[in-house]
Amino acid sequence: MSEERNKWGIAHIYASYNDSIIHITDITGAETISRVSGGMMVKADRNESSPHAAMQAAFQAAREAKDKGIYGIHIRVRAPGGHGPKTPGPGAQAAIRALSRAGLRIGIIDEVTPMPHDGTRKPGGRRGRRV
Amino acid sequence: MMFHKVIRVPEERIAVIVGRNGRVRKRVEQLTNTKIEVGSDGVVTIRGSANADDHVLLWKARDIIQAMARGFSPKRALSLIDEDARLVIISLREFVGTSPSQLKRVAGRIIGENGRTRRVIEEVTETKVSVYGRTVAIIGYDPQLDYATRAVTMLIDGAPHGSVYKYLERSRREINRIKSELWMSDY
Repeated sequence: MSEERNKWGIAHIYASYNDSIIHITDITGAETISRVSGGMMVKADRNESSPHAAMQAAFQAAREAKDKGIYGIHIRVRAPGGHGPKTPGPGAQAAIRALSRAGLRIGIIDEVTPMPHDGTRKPGGRRGRRV
Repeated sequence: MMFHKVIRVPEERIAVIVGRNGRVRKRVEQLTNTKIEVGSDGVVTIRGSANADDHVLLWKARDIIQAMARGFSPKRALSLIDEDARLVIISLREFVGTSPSQLKRVAGRIIGENGRTRRVIEEVTETKVSVYGRTVAIIGYDPQLDYATRAVTMLIDGAPHGSVYKYLERSRREINRIKSELWMSDY
């Protein structure tokens, strides 16, 4: 690990139904190396979470990371979790694929969606959301 | 490096996941380059090989198994192998609570008379819908999948069928517009 070209990082992928964020940090997770979101890649708001935007964002993040000497990454995927959706959004798979195609070595892929052991109440109240 | 994932499936779906002489299981293993072990108590272990080219395949295997566990036939579940296809599972329990009669009522609303509502959702949004036990599972592609999920949650929340059909009709137009835009804009 002391070798400069064997540097590993962690790619935190947050894929919700409204956006996907690719955040590459060093192995400790404390130092950001690059952070790109789907919304930075497309013009229309409704496309922020699309697989295409996630792919572009992942490529951009991978490029920045490689410029800074990262050689491989571990991946941590998460959905919003908590009382929200617990399956990763459309961007997750596209982002992982893009990261591996961008020439980074992929280490461990983890799913780190926060699961409540009975947490906070879902919004909407007892009678549900009234439209 | 080895990756593995453990998921639990209902016991009555084990037979489907394994298939006759383990055919379905072998097919999934072959397509996703994984090793799948099915225990008799409903515990399925999926192992990915170390140097797989495509790192999403392990997830795909998990999704396919989960789809079969949620009531899809192997044939329909295997359509998930496509790159952009996704599986969404909606738990009815979160919405209707634990009462069995309410569960039956809501499931019936989603299926409709002779499966009419389900068929309309499937046809308009080009998805596959399975109502099984306490969950609704949907397989589909991206823009349409959202609309299907919305339609199902509308039905769960108690919207009348008429307004759901109207919503689906509107979404069909929307999908067509997005499709035609794809070819023109820089998106």
